[in-house]
Amino acid sequence: MFSLFVHEGEKMNKTKVASSILLVVSIIMILYALIFTPADWIVYAIAIIFIPFFILSLGLLTMAKPKNDEKEERIQEPFIGY
Amino acid sequence: MSLASLGGNLLGIVPLGDIVFYLNPLHLFLFVAILIFTFLIAISHTETQVEAEFGTLGDKKQSVGLKEFKARRFLSVICGIATAGAMITGDLYNFTLFMSLVGILNIGIISSVKQIGVLDSVFQYGLIAMMCSLPLFGGAAIVLGACGTVSLLAIQSMKPTAMMIFGAIMLFIGVCGESGIAPFFASKAEMFRTPGSPFLLIVHLSSLFIIIRAIEIVLIICT
Amino acid sequence: MYNLMADILINVCIAFLAGSLLLGLHRKIMARVQSRPGPPIIQYLLHSLKFFFKESSFPKTVSKPFYLAIVVILCGIWVTAVIVTNVVYGSLLLIFGIYAVHKIVEHNSGSSSGSPYGKLSCVRAVYSAASELPLFGGSILVLYLTVHTMDIGQIISYQAAHGPLIFAAPLAALMFFVTIITKAPYSPFGITLGKDIISGFETEHFGFLRGFIMISESMCWYVLLWLFLTLFFGPLSIIGYVIGMIVITCITGLISATTPMLNPNHSVMSQMTITLIGVVGSIALMII
Repeated sequence: MFSLFVHEGEKMNKTKVASSILLVVSIIMILYALIFTPADWIVYAIAIIFIPFFILSLGLLTMAKPKNDEKEERIQEPFIGY
Repeated sequence: MSLASLGGNLLGIVPLGDIVFYLNPLHLFLFVAILIFTFLIAISHTETQVEAEFGTLGDKKQSVGLKEFKARRFLSVICGIATAGAMITGDLYNFTLFMSLVGILNIGIISSVKQIGVLDSVFQYGLIAMMCSLPLFGGAAIVLGACGTVSLLAIQSMKPTAMMIFGAIMLFIGVCGESGIAPFFASKAEMFRTPGSPFLLIVHLSSLFIIIRAIEIVLIICT
Repeated sequence: MYNLMADILINVCIAFLAGSLLLGLHRKIMARVQSRPGPPIIQYLLHSLKFFFKESSFPKTVSKPFYLAIVVILCGIWVTAVIVTNVVYGSLLLIFGIYAVHKIVEHNSGSSSGSPYGKLSCVRAVYSAASELPLFGGSILVLYLTVHTMDIGQIISYQAAHGPLIFAAPLAALMFFVTIITKAPYSPFGITLGKDIISGFETEHFGFLRGFIMISESMCWYVLLWLFLTLFFGPLSIIGYVIGMIVITCITGLISATTPMLNPNHSVMSQMTITLIGVVGSIALMII
């Protein structure tokens, strides 16, 4: 039982860590393009790749998490969790 | 008409013998997009389709078996790479070759499915693709005969003649049939009622991108 | 000194904010036509932001990583569209390519979820791609035959010299306008998002993924309206764009409020008929 909670906690932590890293990398790349004004094609590539990743990582960090005992039924299809 | 007025300024040429790849912003976008999708398909799992059963409160789950998954994934990745090649090629004949390869792969991807309605649809698509390989290669041959070259970089500066326009129209008809778009194959959508979402994606995406490239090529030849 | 990244960021923010307010206005107009008070105009923007804080479950049956990746790709392509139109004034064929990838996103978000509603939306996306892409493509093809270029910058210069293209290529403007109607919410041609299939391809994308899709769709709406005004009414001032976008949103709101959603066959046939009339009619007008 304890190991199950630890495993779930690890998984949630992994998502949080990965999203935070992605958020920081996106912000750094966008700031790099803003401050150092590299070649045009690099700016286009940074804008097209890192603006969506910025929004994605923000979403993964801000999204609400379900309670542990309800988590399983929320991801079952068809969803009849309520 | 110049290439620059269609897809943006020429960014570069990759001379690979007689297969000359050229890049402008349009091609770069299409090329990068198709490679991103191909990479995602190579690392994807398939979905499980869930439907209600008749007569009980249970659910029917349909998913893709392992053998079928591996075969379809291989064909999809090759289809993606072939489409990427078609996006940047500057040689008309190479474009037609890539197109026919994509057509064959599309048929292969869907025909590994075990649903009768889907198999009927892909059989009919196969017939149309076979029939349309005549205008496809014939059109390219007519353009070669009328221009003396299959290089799009050379054709862009030539004044269009009646034979060139006819060849371009034949080529476009061939591409439409080979990729199975409406009005040649209006019920292609029936092929998509099966599980295996990443593989269906490449079938649809390859057709759409090749049509965009075909429109550019026809405009280069005809104007 | 000109900072390209700042230009891009400002344009993306304007696209998102203006697009959200215009879509909110669209919903308000629909409500008022139907004798309802309707939500406030800012509602679309608030919903997009609200969804980021909601619980987002990823169903077990989805195709990973496409379920998540396709939403990121949708945002990526409309950021590209904002760059190509507002920053670089690039090629219309690129916008056509982006429109094609949007149809692919509708296709794949539907099928990657495994839900029957998504699957139906995926199949309808293929049907509607067969009619919407020729409609949009026909419009830019007629523009190309009129102006002999696909480059937005050159089309703007052409209009500065020869006057607005709405008089020279009226059928192309009609086809482009029908494309805009197709992309409007509750549109008669909106078969992939029809309520008979719940929310179509968006059904199984909950929580922040839905908010993300809404952000991308607001940028899509802004880009399409900007393009229509720029391609057919020539270089405009900011006030011109604001008034033009509000007028187009009001007209599409009126159309969406008073028309039923067409059944998929009728939707496809109507769009194909309009394309045929538009292209053949324009070529006939050029020859005569």
